Amino acid sequence: MSEEQENTPKNNPIDLNKPEQPANPPSGFGPITPPPFQQQPPFGQFGGGMGQQNLPNSTVALVLGILALPACCFYGVFGLIFGIVAWVLGAGDVKKYQLNPTMYTESSYKNAKAGKICGMIATILSALTILFFVLAIVGAITNPRIYDEILRGLK
Amino acid sequence: MILQQLSFLDWLNGHLFACPFKSYFGLDCPGCGLQRSFIALLKGDLSASFKFYPASIPLIALIIFTLVHLKFDFKFGAALIKISFFAVAVIVLINYIYKIYNHQLTA
Repeated sequence: MSEEQENTPKNNPIDLNKPEQPANPPSGFGPITPPPFQQQPPFGQFGGGMGQQNLPNSTVALVLGILALPACCFYGVFGLIFGIVAWVLGAGDVKKYQLNPTMYTESSYKNAKAGKICGMIATILSALTILFFVLAIVGAITNPRIYDEILRGLK
Repeated sequence: MILQQLSFLDWLNGHLFACPFKSYFGLDCPGCGLQRSFIALLKGDLSASFKFYPASIPLIALIIFTLVHLKFDFKFGAALIKISFFAVAVIVLINYIYKIYNHQLTA
């Protein structure tokens, strides 16, 4: 009986038959407060409220992941480096958030995930570029005449 | 003022980073055209910018949006960045394949 009395306020918060709490709406809303990790911090730039922090590398991962795309074009290798760094940092932060979701803000988790995916795409694109370069270079070294002919054909 | 700006752009046009791959092997890399495209954009010539490098306008828009998102933290920002990044990557790839097929690689 005593156990049932303890459970009733949780399961049935608005219990009109209870004599101790006669029609008191604020007490009825009390038990339905959401768990703390579902509370979204309103402003990300302040690091979120409720003692939540931004993930340490989420911004860096996102920026590097995006910069990897134009970088893959300039000198080939930079895109690969940027992409892999963004991928690793993003993946590390995603893991950190999943280990301890209450500590970090959800927006920084989303940023870290986006950085990871951008890094992945940039890495794949850079790898394709470098593969193409290597094929062209190997072709030029092993068969210079055929390479010249292909080059003339492309013009 | 405008004349000064134009002469600066002309100077910039003559001092681009040369693509090492292109200078050694005579072939465009997937990023060739980005700088010319950017200069065309600074001159205000959108169609020329698109012709040099179709991905540059979406890429710049993506970078600006990312900075704004990092400042103001939109709810949908990260998802939008992911999608548009993928789109830009696809544009880069399609542009390169188009260049190969249309014999513009050595232009």
